[in-house]
Order: sequence, then structure tokens, then C-alpha cells
Amino acid sequence: MKTHRLVTFVAMVILLSLALSACTAPVAPAPADGGQQASEPAEELSVTAMHYFSGTLGRGALADIFKSFQEANPGITVFDNPIGHEDFKTTILVMLAGGDPPDIFSYWAGARVQFIVDSDRLAPIDDLWDENNLDEVVPASLAAGATVYNDQRYLIPFGYHYVGMFYNPKVMADAGVTEFPTTWDELITLADTLQAAGVKPFALGSMNRWPAQFWFDYLLLRTAGPEYRSKLMAGEASYTDPEVQRVMEMWKELVDKGYFVDDANAYDWTDAADQVANGEAAMTLMGTWITGYWNTNELTPGEDYDFFIFPTIEEGVPMAALGPVDGWVLAKDAKHPNAARKLLAYLITDTQSQGDWAIAQGALSPNVNVDPSIYNDVMQNALAAVDSADTFTFNYDLATTPPMAEGGLDMFAQFMNDPSGYMDYLEQTQAVAEDVFAQ
Amino acid sequence: MIKRQRRLWTIGFISIPLVVYTIIVVAPLFYSFFYSLTDWNGLSSDFNFVGFKNFAKVFSDPLFANAIKNTVIWTVVAITAPTLAGLTLALILREGIRGANIYKSLFYLPIALSLAVIGQIWIWIYQPRWGLLNVALEAIGLESATRAWLADPQTALISVIAAWSWQQVGLSMVIFLAGLTSISPELTEAAQIDGANYWQSLRYVIIPLLRPASIVVVALAVINSLKSFDIVFTMTKGGPFHSSDTLAMFMYNESFKKYYMGYGSAIAVVLFLIALVVIALYFRQVKAVEQLYD
Repeated sequence: MKTHRLVTFVAMVILLSLALSACTAPVAPAPADGGQQASEPAEELSVTAMHYFSGTLGRGALADIFKSFQEANPGITVFDNPIGHEDFKTTILVMLAGGDPPDIFSYWAGARVQFIVDSDRLAPIDDLWDENNLDEVVPASLAAGATVYNDQRYLIPFGYHYVGMFYNPKVMADAGVTEFPTTWDELITLADTLQAAGVKPFALGSMNRWPAQFWFDYLLLRTAGPEYRSKLMAGEASYTDPEVQRVMEMWKELVDKGYFVDDANAYDWTDAADQVANGEAAMTLMGTWITGYWNTNELTPGEDYDFFIFPTIEEGVPMAALGPVDGWVLAKDAKHPNAARKLLAYLITDTQSQGDWAIAQGALSPNVNVDPSIYNDVMQNALAAVDSADTFTFNYDLATTPPMAEGGLDMFAQFMNDPSGYMDYLEQTQAVAEDVFAQ
Repeated sequence: MIKRQRRLWTIGFISIPLVVYTIIVVAPLFYSFFYSLTDWNGLSSDFNFVGFKNFAKVFSDPLFANAIKNTVIWTVVAITAPTLAGLTLALILREGIRGANIYKSLFYLPIALSLAVIGQIWIWIYQPRWGLLNVALEAIGLESATRAWLADPQTALISVIAAWSWQQVGLSMVIFLAGLTSISPELTEAAQIDGANYWQSLRYVIIPLLRPASIVVVALAVINSLKSFDIVFTMTKGGPFHSSDTLAMFMYNESFKKYYMGYGSAIAVVLFLIALVVIALYFRQVKAVEQLYD
């Protein structure tokens, strides 16, 4: 009898607290401004900013930028909230879904922003864009692809990177290389020369999968072209198409000839950077953030490292530049939208901050008013490479929807482990694509 | 009257943790059940009910079958290797060898480390070029056995399990040591007087009396292997290409990398049901042992 009553009691408490927690569950959060919409916008004294520029990825430089914003806007305090790159991806998701996000947060332009826009968690910023005349500030080629989603502006670009073939000039000189390839055949010849000199031509650290994607990206962009690639990224083409098969065959040829450092999947991209820096390998296909890494290790741009543009393969295919764009977005549930807008505008328009940020991160500034002379020679050439390109495209994991990117990245790692089974991998990946794009 | 007041106090004290427990443990559980019936992407405020579609997908997904297979391998190794090693260590240390306390502390030390730290330590050990394992293999002339342990889909899973077992050994050792101290020396002495040698007294006296400790060790091993996530996340993230995916890792990838939160919740529910069966079996065993000793 006694135990029976206790059980009833426990069940009641559980039900009651379930009901309680259901009440507080953030199913449909009320608009942040509540009923105050009509009255004067209240003065906002703070703004919260969450981002993945933690540790060596520029935390200190960003803190300085926030400080200078506070000096320019007395009375507004920026709450800086850096989170490690990988943790960021899940933390921000939970905060957004819970209806309690930071006012602004950093994000990767492309399919990832598209995903949050489609889930209705971001506020459009067209008015902010126009008020600050950002069409005059951000290059049109960059703005079109990175900032507009479903016909509205959502993202403020903060910095971007360019993927190129970064090499060790001393290794090249020792192997007698004086000219850099502009065609596929020349690239093969270069690789043969290096191999004959006892140097591995290519380093690749694909432990975390994504560094391998740049090979797939550039091979596809230089053969089938940017238009076909967009179709593939959108699920309108098949991974078993001859265009994709050709890419894998070319890539396989490079692996089969022993051009890559062994066990790519055992190393991270920084290991590959080290292998190039210490002369074990000659080059690595990587984004400009590698310059930031090398600079911290006291390598001299132009002397210890340089890059060339991924060569033309098929004549007449538009030349695409490849890379990610880091940006800031405004949460729909932001509690301080007015102060947040001020900060967003500052982050793109303040040329001093833009320049400082680019230098600190080894990035390129999306603000045309930043004086290019602040860059080192290598970064100036990277800027020229972007300017001379016909189009700017996002790398694979930002170009296609996240669940598809997972399938594709798996394929690249699988390929680097054993390229001979590439046809099976393509079929598997196509099966993933059919599942993803059917939804 | 006093008794009644006492009951009121009891109820008062129990209800506070119970409310907290319900809000932070029971409620999310119900949410998982709820979301497992939807196509929620983890972010949007709207989603559709899809019935048991997610569960149908779970049982036809080759990645789920792969994660189950890996979790089973993990569980089998977890039950055997660290348990036997822990038992052996406990038996040796019980013999009162010199510096036993130092050894005990050393073997127990890994327990004090978080699995993320252990993962990092073993990443270094497995590092293909200058990692301890390959260097040691080369030193004894086994160069052909060296490999990129964590990058090779043939060895990634077992390498992670080995790192995890390294910690688990200390845990089972301590539990067995505690179990051994509760065995009265009179019993083993009696066995010796009856003419039993060491192996016989081990086989017929000590091991049967260690049954409660063994149940705890095995149960912990099973439960820990069902929820194995942190060390996998640190060392391989389930890779290369899912060769070291466990159920928990698979659930994480589907929920947070692919944003299939509904599907991830369905996997969580399946994992919960598996754990429930294991825990039920555990309690049945414990009860059986208690009855034995009553």
C-alpha cells in the first residue's frame, strides 16, 4: 500500500515537471521586440557576438576590432564569445533552435547560410546594405554568391580565402624548376621532374577529409566547368556522369604515379604544410590561410613559400577561383538588433579593421577600399588571381547542402585510401545524393 | 503522528531532486521520442510528422548496420580484454608484492584522465612517423607491421578500442581488488588445507566469490561501450569513412553534421532501448546474486 502511494506520488511529480518543462520549451519564440515595435527603438547598450575565430584563428585580432568599435560607439559593449571551430557548429545550432541565439555570429557563406535562412532563423539585412552603400564596398562577384539568399541579403562578408597550389620555392629551384605550369601536361611534367629529384610533388593531409575536396573541386571546375559543377552541387547532375568519372580518373592517375605523400588520411593539413615547408614535398593545394600558419612559423612570403594558379585543363572553360567566404549574420531572434546592425556595418566598412583582420588571418578583405599594398607579395598575387578569374566559387563542403557534403567528403577520404574503387564510391555517393535531394 | 511528519519530510526532500531529474533527464527523453517521429532538421521551427519512417530508415541504413557491428565488436572486446587484464593485475597486486601501492596508483591513473585526453595521448602513440607504436615496431624489426593505425580502415576501430581499454583496465582492476579484499582469507586457507593448488583455489573459490564484482565490471564495460563517443570523436570522428563509427558517433553525425535531427532522434531511441535491455539484464543478475548471499 505504502509503495503504491509513493509510486503515484513519483508519477505525479514527473508529470508535473514534464508539463512545466513543456511550457518553457522554446517551440515558437515570440519576436524579440515584443509589443515595443511601435514605440521608439530602445537604446541598446550591448551586442553579443559569437564566432569560430578562436585561438590562433584570429581571436586576439577580432577582440581588438571589437574594442575599436566600442571606442567609435561609446555606450555599446560587445560581448565577445569565441568557440572552437568544431564545437561552434553544434553550439550555434542548439542556440538558434532554442530561440536564444547571440545577436550576430560568424558563418560560412554558401550552403550553410542557405540552410539557416531556409530554417527561418536569420534576419535579412537589405536595408543595412543599402544604407551603408555596400554595393560600392563589396565586389559584385563576391556579393552575388555570398550575401544573397532567396533574393534577400543575409550576410556581411568579413574575409575570404583563395585556394591555390602553394609550393616551396627552394625545393623547386633545387629540382631545376624555373617555370610554373599553366596547363595539365605541364603540371604532370613538373611532378615528374620533382619525383626524379627525389621529392614528393604533392602533400595532402586529409585526416579531417575537407583538404582533399580542393582537388575534386579544381579538377571538375577545369574540365566540366563551373556551370556543370553548380548543377552537381544542386543535385541536378549525377556523380556517375562521365564528367565526374573523368575527374576521378585524372586524380587517380596522380595517386597511382606516387605523386602524393603516402597515408594522406593520417595527416592534418598543418602536417602537409610542414611537409612542404621542410622540403619533403614540393606543394600542397590549400587555401590562403596556410600563409597565416606559415607566417606564425616565421616563414617568409615569396622566399619560403609561394603559389601558382591551378592550371588550365580544358581550353575554353571559364577560369574559376575557389575558396570560402567568412561572414557575419544577424539572428532573427536577436535581442539587440539595432546595436547588432551598427556592429555589422562597422565590421565591413571600417577599412582599418578590415585590413587588420585580413593580415591577422592570412585572408583577403572583401572591402574594395582596403589598400592592397598592406598585403605581402604572395597575398597580392592571390588577390590578382581572384580578380583575373571569371567567377568565384565556394569549395565543395560550402557549395552543396550539408548532408550531401558529408557523403562527398567521405568519398574523398575513401578515394585517398584506395583510389582503385572510385567507381563504387561514385555510385555510393550518387545514392546519398538521391536520398538527400529527394527530400 | 511523528511517523507521518517524517514521511512528509521524506517526500519533500525526494521531490526536489525528482523535479530536477525529470526536467533535465526524463523530459528530453520524451522529446527524443517525439522528434523521432518527425523530419525536424534541428533548426527550423516547423517540421512534419512522418510516422515511423525514421525507424524504417534506421533498419535499412547500411551505416546503422555498420555502427551496430562496430558497437558489438567494441562490447565484446570491452567485456573480455580489460576485464581479464584487470583481474590479472588485481590477483598479482593482492599477493603483496613490493610497491604494490605504487603500481595500483599507476594502473589507476588513466581513470583520472578524461577520454579526450586519453584520445590525444593515443593519437600521438599511433602517429605513423614518430609515434611510439611504429617506432617500437621498427626497433624490433617489425617494419612490415607498421602502418597509419588511425587512417587505415582495417585498424582504426580496434586502435580506438585499445586506447579505451587502456583506461578501462584500471577501473576493472580497482573493482576486482575491492572484491578480493571482501573474500575472507579463511576460505582460501581452507582450500589450501584441503590440498587445492593455486589454480584450483582460483577456479573454485576466488572466481566464484568474485561474481558480484565481475557483474559490476562487465555491466560497466557494456554500458560504457554502448555510449562510447568522446574517445571516438577525439581520435577518428568515426572515420576513415565510418570504419570506426559507434552508435553514438553515428547518431551525432546524422543529427549535427547532416542536420537530420528527426532521424538522429530515432537512432537515439533505438540506442536507448538497447541500453534498457542491458540494464534490465544487469539488475536481474544483481538480484540473483543478492538472493544467493541472503
